[in-house]
Order: sequence, then structure tokens, then C-alpha cells
Amino acid sequence: MHRYRLIAYKCKSCGRAHYPPANACPYCGSRDLGEIELPRVGRILSYSIVYTTPFEDKDRSPVVIGLVDLGVARLIAEIVDVKPEDVRIDDRVEAVFRRISVDGDTGLIVYGIKFRPVRTR
Amino acid sequence: MAYITGVGLVNVDRHYGKSVRKLAFEASTAALDSSMVESIDFIVVASSLSYLQEPQLDLASYIASSMGFRGVRSIAVESGEASGLAAVMTAKSLVDSGLASRVLVVGVDKLSDNPSWRVYRDLSMLYDSESDAFYTIGLGGVAGLLMRLYMEVYKVDRHTLAYWPALMHSNAKANPYAMLRFAITPEKVLEAPPVAEPLTLLDTFPLGDGAAAIVVEGKARGDAMAEIVAVESSTGYQSVALSDDPLRIESLEVAYGRLVERVDAMDVDVVELHDSFTITGILELEALRLAERGKAAEAVAHGNFSIGGEGPVVNPSGGLKARGHPIGATGVYQVAEVALQLAGEFPGLKVEGARGGLAVSVNAMGSSSYVAYLKAVG
Amino acid sequence: MIEKAVAGPDEDSTTMGLEASLNAIRRSGVNPADIGAVFFGTESKPYSVKPSATVIAEAIGATPLTMASDLEFACRAASEGIRASIGLVASYMVKYALVIGSDTAQANPGDVLEFTASSGAAAFVIGPSKGSVAVFEGSSTYVTDTPDFWRREGSRYPRHGEGFTGEPAYFSHIVGAVRDLMEKLGLKPSDFNYAIFHQPNGKFPLKVGEILGFKSDQLKLGLVTPLIGNTYNGSALIGLARVLDYAKPGERILVAPFGSGAGSDAYSLTVTDAVEEKRGKAPLVDHYINDKIVISYSIYARYRGLIHVVKE
Repeated sequence: MHRYRLIAYKCKSCGRAHYPPANACPYCGSRDLGEIELPRVGRILSYSIVYTTPFEDKDRSPVVIGLVDLGVARLIAEIVDVKPEDVRIDDRVEAVFRRISVDGDTGLIVYGIKFRPVRTR
Repeated sequence: MAYITGVGLVNVDRHYGKSVRKLAFEASTAALDSSMVESIDFIVVASSLSYLQEPQLDLASYIASSMGFRGVRSIAVESGEASGLAAVMTAKSLVDSGLASRVLVVGVDKLSDNPSWRVYRDLSMLYDSESDAFYTIGLGGVAGLLMRLYMEVYKVDRHTLAYWPALMHSNAKANPYAMLRFAITPEKVLEAPPVAEPLTLLDTFPLGDGAAAIVVEGKARGDAMAEIVAVESSTGYQSVALSDDPLRIESLEVAYGRLVERVDAMDVDVVELHDSFTITGILELEALRLAERGKAAEAVAHGNFSIGGEGPVVNPSGGLKARGHPIGATGVYQVAEVALQLAGEFPGLKVEGARGGLAVSVNAMGSSSYVAYLKAVG
Repeated sequence: MIEKAVAGPDEDSTTMGLEASLNAIRRSGVNPADIGAVFFGTESKPYSVKPSATVIAEAIGATPLTMASDLEFACRAASEGIRASIGLVASYMVKYALVIGSDTAQANPGDVLEFTASSGAAAFVIGPSKGSVAVFEGSSTYVTDTPDFWRREGSRYPRHGEGFTGEPAYFSHIVGAVRDLMEKLGLKPSDFNYAIFHQPNGKFPLKVGEILGFKSDQLKLGLVTPLIGNTYNGSALIGLARVLDYAKPGERILVAPFGSGAGSDAYSLTVTDAVEEKRGKAPLVDHYINDKIVISYSIYARYRGLIHVVKE
């Protein structure tokens, strides 16, 4: 379940990894792919603070969306647990498991990975 | 060979009282009148949101029958924001192959019939549901982060990037079909409410309804407005996260490269390109090599691409920013506008003596790109 | 009570439980595929029917060949999972078990319980003594049918018997379990370095400790409620996690969770050398206590769904 565990595909032909897993390597087209687990810490390459949040997510508005670099692959993900005005390019972030969306009062809950700033311990 | 013999445009606005079929009908009759024909072999319909909003499937046949074209052949094309150009490409292939001699292309979409939160949710479907659109974020997030990255990498400030929307508004003032017809200053852009920081409301296309139609014929006519010489396209990555350089719209570079291969001599006097957000317009100028990487914003601030400035005239219609962006219709607006320029008939800012022009559409931040080259006839 | 922890709008008992689980697994060094049972103890399940334990099992990589179950017994549900895990591991039925106690506790607005009902999670990997940071010397459970605190199906908030939750419930069951344990093992309060009790507030644990003959110094490290509120299934277990953050090899710990309905467990644990090497591999409880954003009651009310919003 790649959404729960940051499972990416690594191409056995060209060696590049991509996330989320696709049917073939987006770089060389090969279908010879293997699973790898991505590192859970990375850095923010860029981000945006979005105000046009859908109705059901108004409690979280504005929402921060970031382009996160995990070294071997990059992904777009929500950045949480931080005031939007405190986010900076190059911030170190770590993966956390959170609710992505809820289908009304009776439907399913979709879970996935978001990222939050790593705070020094 | 494919020729545009007529165009019809509806002004982009909030047409609360008009349905998708009504808007399509208005644009189509204007195009048919302008072409002075009554019968067509084929209708190609471009739309994206109608499927979700009406809701309606097999859209093309219902639009065709509502226009009274009994038994006409119809097909609908959906390629996100590039649906319009994809539909034009389809029409050109139909006439080039001899399957049709006269094709009506009509693009239509409405963005004002639903509450904005719902429109934003539908528009997020233009992005990859498995990655970028997996998070329920809303509109503009990916464009916003690319704008911030551009500013960081090329050391361009926010103010320099505000000249583009100002130019778009300035151009649209003269265009009777444009949605927003008031001038703005770069300062006003910075002061406007944030949409996806650093993008503000004035960096973002307005939500409006529209329809545009063109008549495409296989036979040369003395009074044809323009020739569709070639349309090329390419697909890109599912997400900018997969690109080694997210500030390059690779699918547009490839599409344009393919176009240049096909066409012997290109006169690019006018360009209508896809500035859904300020940053999209900037990156497209660079992908088309009209400016060097990292320099397009500066060039615009300098006065390039405006009437009288250096380079081809870009978006004399006001572009997606000010003329408007009724998603599936936009590409048809662009082709119609370029054709009008080449025929010397554009009702707004005229590019005098234009011999050739480009129409450019990009879906999302480059999942697919289309470019059409038109040239003047006679 | 100084502060209480509140789950954010994209958190629930499952997401908190998963974070705690990943911390526990990292410290344990075990391969998640070797976890043969996942017990999720909570009284604030995201689904009434659909286990959170399977979401956790999937997210840690233990599926598909594993036991997984959500347990219910108010605040001691996870603790029952611990007792069951001891049996599963000791009988070689599973190599390792993962037990999570997690809650986003709710109380009727204005009810006295609103002051303390909070959000938090703790998780433990239970396995063979070899490599463990602490070893169970013995355990005991004491239950009776006592209606001190309950929530009917379909009801949003629990009801409680006010004073009745004290002597006939909390005190009598904890005392019952702890005395049975100490008798079985031949131990007295002074044999323990730490005592951690279920902590619905800052006072009850001190009082039950006094009744049993413990000194307040023994309770201090494991008493977290004044700082984070009552995390229900996390209550005694987060206290235990904090004690393990500081305890020295050879020290002995008593931990006694309690759940309304009613029942209590008591465990005696001795700390091993392995604790020093493993504790730094994940954030300490104090890190989580100090890493916070303070919010107002109005934001809290929005986050916890106390304000009725019509979904468009």
C-alpha cells in the first residue's frame, strides 16, 4: 500500500525511482520495476500556501502544499503542523500518517502521508 | 490542407441565464454565419467541466442535436485545459484525411454555475489524481510553488512577475469578448488577495463561462481567414515532482520542436498562449524560446511582447488572465483570435501585417501541451 | 491540570496510534513482518465497525499474515491487549505483538470531564525477554460489572456517575489488581522504583498510591495528565513510556491501568540494560509534551467538531 508506507518503484533498467508507483518507468519506459521504501525525511524544494481550500477542509485553511525532495525521489505533499508563515525553502521535513479526506458522515476515511517540519530534539 | 473559413465567439462572462447548449449554439451560429455556410459534415466539441457539471456524457451529440443538425457526425474531445486545441487538431485530421470537407469545432465550458469551492474541486481534476490532486488542496497550489521556485532559482522578485498580468489587462481593455476589461498596475497585483501564495487573485484566471467556434474546411476558399498549417502535441510527466527541472514545461518544448520540424518557414508575428497563472505564461515564453530561461519575466517588464515592443505580440486578446479561460473552450478562442489577426479582423488590439501565428495550450503544469501554427492566406 | 493535548483536524486515534507504533518499532529494531498480532485499544474509534488495527498493520508492513483486532474496555482496552500479548509471545504463537492505546477523548461541552479529555497514543512491541528494554515479572487483572462511566451506541458523549467513579470503580479495582499482583510476586511498595496508575486527573493517582502504600516520589515521573490531559487508553501507558525514557537498568516499575465498566490490570516490570541503547532511537515523551502550538477554545471547538457545520 504505497500511500501508507511511501513505497516507490525503482526501475531495473535505468535505476531511477519514481513515486507514486506507475505502470512503467516515466524516464525510460521500462516495465521492469521493483519496490523500494523511500526515506521518511527530506527537504522542501518549494511550497505554496493555498487559500482556495475545498469546503470540507475549511478548518485547515490555508493549506501548505510542498515539493519535497527525499533524495532518491521527489513528491508533492501537504505540509502540516506548522504555521504557514513559518515555512521556508530547505526546511527539513519528516513523513507523518494523517487523514487525507473523509467521504461525508458515512463513507470511508482515506489516509496517507503528509510532511511536517523536523524539530530538533 | 485545412482552412478556417469562419469564427464565432461569445464574450467570456458569467452567463447565468445561458446553458452550455445555448452558449455553444450562439458561438456556432456566429461561426457559420461568418463562414457563410449552413451545412457541416462533422461537429467536434471541446469541453471539460460539462461532463461533471451538467452532468452530461456523449456531450457532442446532444449539443449537435440541440442545434438542429439532424444526423450530423459528432465527436467530443477532452484533454483538460488543452481540449480546444485537441479538438482543432481532430478537425484538421478529419479534413486532411478526406473524412470530412467541413467541420465545425465548438469549445464550451461554464465555471459560474456552481459555488466556487465546487469549481475548485472539479478543476483540481486537471491534475494527477494519484499525486498532485491526491491531497484535497484546491486551485493553484502547484503553480504557486513553481512561482516561488522560479523566484528563488532565478532571483526574480515578485514585482517583476507582476508585469505580465498588467499587460494582459491592458490588452483586454480593447477586446469586446474579454471577461475583464479594466487596467491594473503591478502594485495592484501584489495587493490582491492571495490564492496560492505567492500567486494572488490577479495572477489567476477568472472563473467565467464561454464558447468559441470555428469552421474548418478542406478546400481552399478565396475568402478563407487563415490556414491551419500544423498542430503538434506531446504528453509530459504526471507531476512536476517527476521532472528534473520543474521550471521547464518539457511537453511544450517537445510539441513545439515537433511543430518546427513539420513547417518549412514559420512567421511568428502573434502568439496566443496559455497563461492560466502568471507563472505558466512566463514558463511558456521560455519553452517557446521567446526568452532565455529565467529571463522572461524581466523581458515582459521591459515591454517585450507588447504592441510596439520586441518580439512577437503575445496575447493581444488579454490571454487567459483577462480574456478569460473557459477551460475546454479556451483553445478554440485562441485559434479563432489568431485567425482573426491573420485576416486583419480582430476586434481588439490588431497586430498589423501579421503573416503567421501560434496558439499554445498546456494542461495543468504540462501533463500535455499543444501548439498550432496558422498562416495568413493570400 | 495545566494543559491538555488536542488532536488536529487531520488526526484521529488511528493516525496517532500509527506514529506511536513507528516509534516503538524503530526502538525495538524488529522487522515488522515478524509482528504476528496488532491490538488497538481505544474508545474513540474512527469507525464503529471496521478495525483500525488493520490500517496500522498495513501501514507498518505486518500484513497479511498477522492477527489484528480493536479492543474495547474504556481506558484499559490496550492493557488487555498487553496481557493477551504476553500469552501469545510466551506460548510461541507469535514472535512479536504490537499493542497500541490511543484516544481522541471527547466529553459533553460544559461537563467536568471536558477539562481533562484529551488526545494521545502509546505503543509497545511485546516480545521475548532477550533484547527487551523491560521484562514482565507478572501481571494481574481485576474486573467486575460496575457502571461508573458508559456511552450508549449512537450517543455522542459518555455519561458518568460522578462520585461513583471514585471509590467503587477506580479505587477498588486498582487496589484489587495491585494487591493481587504484589501478593502473587511477594512484593511490597518499597520494592518498586516507580508506580504508574491510570490518571484521569492529577489527584486520583496520588490518592490510590497513598492507599496502597506508595510514596508520591514514586509516582512523579509517570504522572503526565497535568501536562497533557487524560488520554484515556494512552493514560497510564504514556506514563509508562515516560518512565522508560529515564529509568535505569535494574529498576522495578508498577503500572496499573484502569477502565470503566470496570476493571484494572497491574504489571510488574524490571528494566534491562537494553533500555539505554534503545531509548534514543525515537522521540522522548517529553519531546512531544514540549512540541506544541497553543490554541484557543474556539479553534479547539472547530477541530473537535463541537460546532455543527452543515456539509454542503
